[in-house]
Formats: sequence, C-alpha cells, structure tokens
Amino acid sequence: MIIDISSLERHYETPAGVVKALDGVNLQIEQGERVILLGPSGSGKTTLLNCLSALDSPTKGNYRFKGKQVPRSDSEKMTSFRRENIGYVFQFFNLLQDLTILENIVLIQELSGKKDPQRAQELLALVGLYEERNRFPGEISGGQQQRVAIARSLAKRPALLLGDELTGNLDTLTSSKVMEILVQACDQENITAVFVTHDESLVKYATRIIRIDSGRIISNEIVKTSG
Amino acid sequence: MVRKYSTRIFRRATSGNNLLNRRLMRSLWGSKLRLIAVFGMIFVGVFSGITFSGYSSNLGPMYESLYEDTDSGSNLADIWIDNKTQVWTPDQLSIFCSSLESNWNNNLPAVDGCEGRIIQQGVLFHKDQNNERIVTSLIHGIHPEADIDRNWFPSGYTEGAPAVTENEIVIDAHVTEALSLELGDLVRVGVGNGSHEFLVVGKAYHPLHVFLAPEGSIFPPEDGDYAVGYVSDLGMARLTGNIVGSSNTIMIDIDGIPEYDLPTTDRYEGEVMDEMKELIESSMLEAGVDGRIRDRGQNEQVELMRQDLESSQRFATPFTILIQSIAAITIALSLQRLVQSQSREIAILRTLGVPRTSIMQGYLIAPVVIGAPSCLIGALASPYGVDAMLDFYESIVGLPIIDRDVSFETYSSILGVTMGIVIVSGVVPAWRATRIDPLEILSGRTDIRVGSRFLQSITGWMPARLGLSIRSSLRKPTRLGMTLIAVGISLMLAGSIQMMTVALKDSVLGGLSDDQTWDKQAFIVPGGENDIIQWADQVGAEYESIIEISSGALLDDSGSERAFSAIALANYTQGSSMRSVEITDGEPPSPKQQPIEVMMDEGSLRMLGWDLGEPYYVKIGATEIEVLISGTTGGEFSRTMYFTHPDLSEISGLNATSLYLQLPDGVSENERLAEMSAGILDREDLVDGVEDLLNQQTQFLNAVMGLGVLFTLAVMFNTMVMNIAERDFELATLRVLGASRFSLGGMLLAESLIIGLIGGFIGVCFAFAGAVGLAASFSTWQFYFPVTLVPEVAYQLIGIVLAISVAMVPIGIFRITRMDLVAKVKDLSH
Repeated sequence: MIIDISSLERHYETPAGVVKALDGVNLQIEQGERVILLGPSGSGKTTLLNCLSALDSPTKGNYRFKGKQVPRSDSEKMTSFRRENIGYVFQFFNLLQDLTILENIVLIQELSGKKDPQRAQELLALVGLYEERNRFPGEISGGQQQRVAIARSLAKRPALLLGDELTGNLDTLTSSKVMEILVQACDQENITAVFVTHDESLVKYATRIIRIDSGRIISNEIVKTSG
Repeated sequence: MVRKYSTRIFRRATSGNNLLNRRLMRSLWGSKLRLIAVFGMIFVGVFSGITFSGYSSNLGPMYESLYEDTDSGSNLADIWIDNKTQVWTPDQLSIFCSSLESNWNNNLPAVDGCEGRIIQQGVLFHKDQNNERIVTSLIHGIHPEADIDRNWFPSGYTEGAPAVTENEIVIDAHVTEALSLELGDLVRVGVGNGSHEFLVVGKAYHPLHVFLAPEGSIFPPEDGDYAVGYVSDLGMARLTGNIVGSSNTIMIDIDGIPEYDLPTTDRYEGEVMDEMKELIESSMLEAGVDGRIRDRGQNEQVELMRQDLESSQRFATPFTILIQSIAAITIALSLQRLVQSQSREIAILRTLGVPRTSIMQGYLIAPVVIGAPSCLIGALASPYGVDAMLDFYESIVGLPIIDRDVSFETYSSILGVTMGIVIVSGVVPAWRATRIDPLEILSGRTDIRVGSRFLQSITGWMPARLGLSIRSSLRKPTRLGMTLIAVGISLMLAGSIQMMTVALKDSVLGGLSDDQTWDKQAFIVPGGENDIIQWADQVGAEYESIIEISSGALLDDSGSERAFSAIALANYTQGSSMRSVEITDGEPPSPKQQPIEVMMDEGSLRMLGWDLGEPYYVKIGATEIEVLISGTTGGEFSRTMYFTHPDLSEISGLNATSLYLQLPDGVSENERLAEMSAGILDREDLVDGVEDLLNQQTQFLNAVMGLGVLFTLAVMFNTMVMNIAERDFELATLRVLGASRFSLGGMLLAESLIIGLIGGFIGVCFAFAGAVGLAASFSTWQFYFPVTLVPEVAYQLIGIVLAISVAMVPIGIFRITRMDLVAKVKDLSH
C-alpha cells in the first residue's frame, strides 16, 4: 500500500467560524492505481490533494506514505517529501518561460539532485515532443505545454503523481490525448496517480473513482484493476 | 448652466475616482518597505538640496560683507604689485602712485586708492605654559589709516583695534584661541632681523587670510603652527630695519569691482584689467618698481575662496537633481511594478467601463501623495542641515558666518524641481495603466511570452539553474537598465568622491611625504643664508640651498597671463636632493643650456598644451627667458617649473631663498635659527596639517559617500524585492515541485551576484566618470590633480554593490519560506 490515510481532518478557522474542509477521511491506495477525485466546488478534493502532497498539514488524523508518517508543519521536511516522492501537474502548466522545454525538465532533475538529460529526452519522446525540445513554452500550444508539464512531473521518477484539474484548460480532444499519454506514462513507470477533476469524461482513465462532498468520501469505487 | 453641468460631471467623476484612488493607495500601502525607500530618497533629496543651496547662498553675503569698502568691511584691493626680494622706498611708492594717477585713462574706472606696505615672512615666539613656541608667521605692516586690505573686526567674533604704535600687534583671529592669546598679552616677533616684543591689541580677520594657509599652499597647517600678525607701519620698520613707509607690496583700489579674468571660465574677461595693468606697468617703470602684478583672479588666497564659493553654488543644483533622479527612477519602477501587478484589476475596471482618465488620475496622484509629505519633512529639517554645513564651513575656514538665512527662493526652487521630477516619474506608469488591453489581460495572453533565444544560446551550456538565474536577471532589460543607471548615479555620489579623495591625497601628501628627507625649511632674507649654514654646521645638520620664486609668469593660448613658481633644487637625480621630484617623463634639466632646460609639472603642460622637448617663453619677475621642457614632473597640485640651481640663480640674482635642513637626532630649531630666518616650515607640521584638513573634509565626504551607499541600498532593495515579487509564481511552482529553500536560495544568490557584478561594474564606470568630471571642475591653473582609476576603490565599490545585492537574498528566502503554498497552488491550478 502506498497511501494509508485514516480519520484525516483539515479544519480552517475563518471569521465565519470553523470550516471543515476534510472531516474524517479514510483512504488506502495501492501502488500503480490511478485515482480520480470527483466532487462539487468546495467539497474538499483539492484540500485532500494538498494533504497528499504535503503542501498542507492535516489538523488531525494519520497519513502514512509507503508505511512512513508524512511530515507535517515543517515546511522543509514537507518540501523534501515532495521532492522525493511527488510529481505535480497544474491546470495552467506553469512552465518556466525563460527555459526551453528540455531545460524545464532538466531543472527539476537538477533541483532534486537527479540530473539525467537522457531521461529528460526520453520523457519528451514519450509525450511526443522530442522534436520540440529546444523550443520555449511560449512557442507551443497549450496541450503541448501540458504534455511537457507531465514529462516534467515524471522527470525525477516520483512514486505518486498528482494533478489538479490538469485538463481544465484544454479542449476535449487535447484533454483525451493528454490523459492517454499520462496513463501510458504511469503504466510504463508503475506510478500511482491521483487527479482532481470536475470532468466526468475523465473517469475512463481511472482505476478507481472517489467522490467527495462536504469533506467526506461519499463513494469509493474500483472501476478496473491497475497495471 | 454650462458651469452647473460641468460641476455635476466633476462631482460624479471624482466620487467614482475617490474609490479608485483609495484602492490604489491601499495597494501602495501594501508595499510599505518600497514606499519608505522612495519616501526616504525624496526626503534626502529635498533636505540635501536645500542644505547645499542654503549653505552656498549664505557664503556669498559673508564674502561681500568682508570685502566691501565700508566702515565695517576690509576693502579688498583690486590689484596687487609685489616682489618679496625687493623693498621699495616711500619715494618710489609716491612716484608710482602719482604717475599712476596722472597716466590713468579716464575711460577706465577711477583709481580709488594706491597704498604700499611690507608683508614679510617671519616667526612669532609664543610663551605657552613656560615653553616658548616658535610659530612660522606672516607679518603685515599696515598703516593705521590704511584704506585698502584692512583688518576685519566683525562684532561679536573679534575684539580690539588696529595696531597704531610701533609696539602694537593684531593677531589673526584664526589662531588666537590655539595660541591662547588675549588682548594685553606680549608676543615676540622676528622677520630675519632680530626680534621685538609686541603688545596684542586686537584679534581680527584679514581678506587675504580667510583661509589661513601659508603663501603657495592651500592647506593650513595645524591650529597654532602658523600665524599671521598685523603690525603698524612703524612696527614693521622696527622689525625690518627699513625706513617707515617702505613697501614690498602695493595695493591698488579701483572704483567698484573691475572685471578680471576668471580662471574657471573659457571666456576671457580681463580686457579692461589688461588695459589697467599696462598703465600700471608703465608707472612701475617710471618709479623703478619691479614686481608681479596680480588681479583678484591671480591672487591665490582670494581666488581660492571665490572658487570655493562658486563650486558650492555650482554643485547644489546638480547634486539635488542627481539625488532626485535616483528617487524618480525608483518611483517610476515601483509604480510600473504596481501597474503590472494590478493589470488584472485595471482590466476588470476597464471592462466595467471605467474611463482611462479615471485610472490615469490615480497613478498621477500617487507620486504627489508620496512626494508632498516627504518634501514637507525635508524642507522642515533642512534649516538644521544649513546650520550644520555653515558650522562645518566655519570650522574649516575659521571665519564667522554671521547672518544665516534660507530664502524663500531656495525653498521654492528645490521643492519645485523635486515635485516636478516626482510628478514626471509617475507619467509613464500612469500612461501605461491606461494602455492596458482588458481582453489581452483577462485572456491570459500577456502571461505567455517567449524566452530570449539569444540568452538561451549563450547560457544553454550552463546548468539549467544557472541559466535560469541569468535569464531571470536579464528578463526585464528596461528595468534592469533603469536600476543600473540609478545604482550608477548613487555610486557616482559615493565613488567619485572617494576616487577624487584618493587622488587628492596622493597628489598633496605624496609631494610632502614620499622620499622627502628635509625636516625644516628655513626662509631667508636675501643674502642671509650664510648665517643659517653656519648654524647648521654647528649643530651638525645637513642643508640644501633652494631657490623658490613665486613670481613666474607665462602666457597661455588665450593670451592670459598665468602665474607659476620657479624652483631650483640642488639636483634632480634620485636621492641627490632632500626634496625628491617625481619625473614622469623626459630627463632632468642640464645647466647652462640654450634655451634654458627646465622641467614642468604635468598639470601645467596639460592645461597649456605644451609638449616635452619644445621651447617656450616665460617670465621670472620682469626677466623674459626662453626655456626648453626637458622633463615632466608628477605629484604636484600647484603649477611649478624646475630649473637647475645655477640657471635660476643667474636669472634671479639670488643664491637661495630658503634652506632645507635635515636635523640630527635631538636637535630642533632654536631661537637663534628663528631670529636669523624669515620663517621656518616644519615638514611634519605641514603633513599633519594637510592630513588634518583632509580628515576634516573626509568626514563630510564620508557623509556624502554614506548617502550614495544608502541610495544604492534603497535602489537595489527595491529592484530585488520587485524581482522576487514578480517571480512568486515561478518560485512557488518550483517549491511545489520540491525545490528546497537551499536550492532556491542558491538561484537567488546567483541572480544577486550577477546583478551585483553588473551594477558594481557600471557603478565603477559612473564613479570614475564622476571623479574625472569633478576633478576637471575643481582643477584650475592654481590647483590640479589627475584622477586615475585606483583598483582598490573600484573593488570596494563593486564589493559594496555585491554586498548589498547578496544581503537581499535572505529577504528572498524569507519570502519563499513565508509563501502560502496552498494559496499559490490554488492560483496555479485555477
């Protein structure tokens, strides 16, 4: 088991009172699963993703990753956890505009101390952008940028890949292409993936679908076996 | 009707605008640190601008009241004739003055006065706590009824009355405190002819000794090491043994102030003065008077103070503008950044139909809101600055500045210039705010940009982190350029003064300290060297006769007469004279050559456009000679021509004007030497005096330098904070992707080092250009020093900028640490 969460709570103090973004979440995810988190706005799915990536610290509860307690409240240890284990894909790609596509990937490797330009190029080939490696992000389309962002997130061989509305900025055709590439890459590298989305059409790429509302998991359905 | 309608429109517009402006002010308040930096810069600009202007405008009236021909003034002469190697009889003086009166051209301003006196170097024996000090002095013999170059007795700062009887003396008020002299004290004075006691009857100032430096020097010795005394004509006759009414200096007072050539201008203003000098020369011939004729521009003591006043006045405005331009650049960059960070808000407002003028208004008002209070506080604080500067001037010059006032014009001009610059700095950002295209901003098209292919090609081989650092630093060339200009101007303030100070110290102290082996310089009355040589032999001292004549004259390209000192040492080869001369080019002169071989200082050659190996005509006293420049000397700030001893002796008819003495251990000058000599200079005292003055000046210069460094700090701080703020998303992305504080800190450090190095290099260029410009504006015929790029100063300046930029890294790291990644991820993903 790669993720083991029990009774996880994340509460926020606001002037209007305490907001229970996560209210006793229990979740176990196996290596190689592709999980899609669905739910309406404010249901707590992004908060769960933030807790999974150690961007946010739960108020209460347990979160073990590969059997180890995930650090909380210490930003450097949390960053270190992300560096070693997590790949992240954003909705708006967030590629660095001053670096070429290849350099964007190599930079992440450099920062995690795993520089491997060969792998960076292989990943670009995997996402079908090897020929574009020396172009700047501003010179390619949004879909291509998101594929670069996927390659970037895989560059340091993360155990867990997270994505928050990662196709939210793409048209349907491009979304499908991006998701297919993502599935292919995750399968090839045996990477566990958790994606947050509003888009029900993406469920076909998941091995499990979790629905959240008001900070609680309301359904947890395995749709196909991973691998 | 029309008026009513327009008022309604105005009200509607302003009520809407009030909210918009309030929104802008709140955003400005959000960047408090930058706001404080801008506020501080404007404050300092106004404060220093009014301080400098107020200071220089107070100096002018001080000189006017000192020089004016009134009962309370001293009536500074317009023309001086002097020859320290001759004494003219009362008859000669009378013939000269009568001849001048009768020869005078009625088209010229009338001669108001023609007087003579002896001004003689000497020594003052001063008993201080049972020890008798021998103080090198200059003694004036002033007739009690003299009308020209009188003592100045400003009430409250001086006391007593002019010397009348043969045993009365007035002591210059600069030194009475250092020598603990009071009215009624007795002092002994000698001018190379024994010594006599005098009763102190006054403490006063004199227009030729505003700055108490010995003749030929612009550096006053330490307090109490040099004195000026004013005895009566009877007293001088008693001291010199000459008959009463003898003179070696003639002062001529002309009605009004005739125009004379100002050495600091390219224009020649001395045509009328030349006409007067021609008439004076013919009267001198008639009376058998031989000497140099000088107007106010050629009299170093007077010209030095005029130039000091002129430079104070000249530098006040550019200095203020320099500071204000740094503030303007900072305001413009800050507002530009504000516009950029608010582009989405502005786009929404524009989409909602808010007119361009309403948006623009706020960005135009913002600088005024920042500028007005900073100007007000600066103006309120500036009288203290003016007072402090005038006190500082008093402490340097030693002359009281009685009436202190900062005029309304000074306030209004500085405040006007400042607010003008401040308002202009807001125009471009304000205009840009109105040019924002809502569609482009809201569609996010402006977020997409293509990196620089050029930068990629030159940094592509580097690690991606370093490449990113370099590209990020150079991403906004306009802002970086503006920042570097502001840093350059800041360092121009700090570095140019530092470079100039080093050059000045090298020039002045180098000439007195490097390879100089003499301890004392004993001045002699003509033919009086044998007694001193005898004394030196008795005490086992080494000696060297030198000839030093300050009445050299030459004509420059424009036909203006320029004065220089002619000096003859024993020899010019290394170690052969007690005074080493640095030969930078050519060879030492050989004696008895035709034309006469001489060396000249590099400043003279540069200003005259004269070349090595070329012959020129000069005058020593009244004798015209042809000289050939055999060598160039360095390390001289005054204009000097070096002759061989035999040549200058033959030209001047003198074997020596002074002797350098190298005293054995345990021997110092004694009363006998003092009585035999017409003044003794102590090299250590001279060095101490120069160092003392330079240190005093350095305190002030350090304050200006500190200001420059402070500005550099503010400008760099502003830029670095903007850089980091602008890169929030980039840094947040990297942080979310697992970049440690350490790696991001490393990137920021690399960026800081790059900006610091470029900034430092540009700062050095600005500072050097500033130093050369300053030195050129300070350099005159009387005072010249070359500025060279001193590597230590350059390293120091680069170090300052590097240190400041690196010191900003912790701020960046702190910002990264405090970054709310959850909120950032929300922004990044939605």
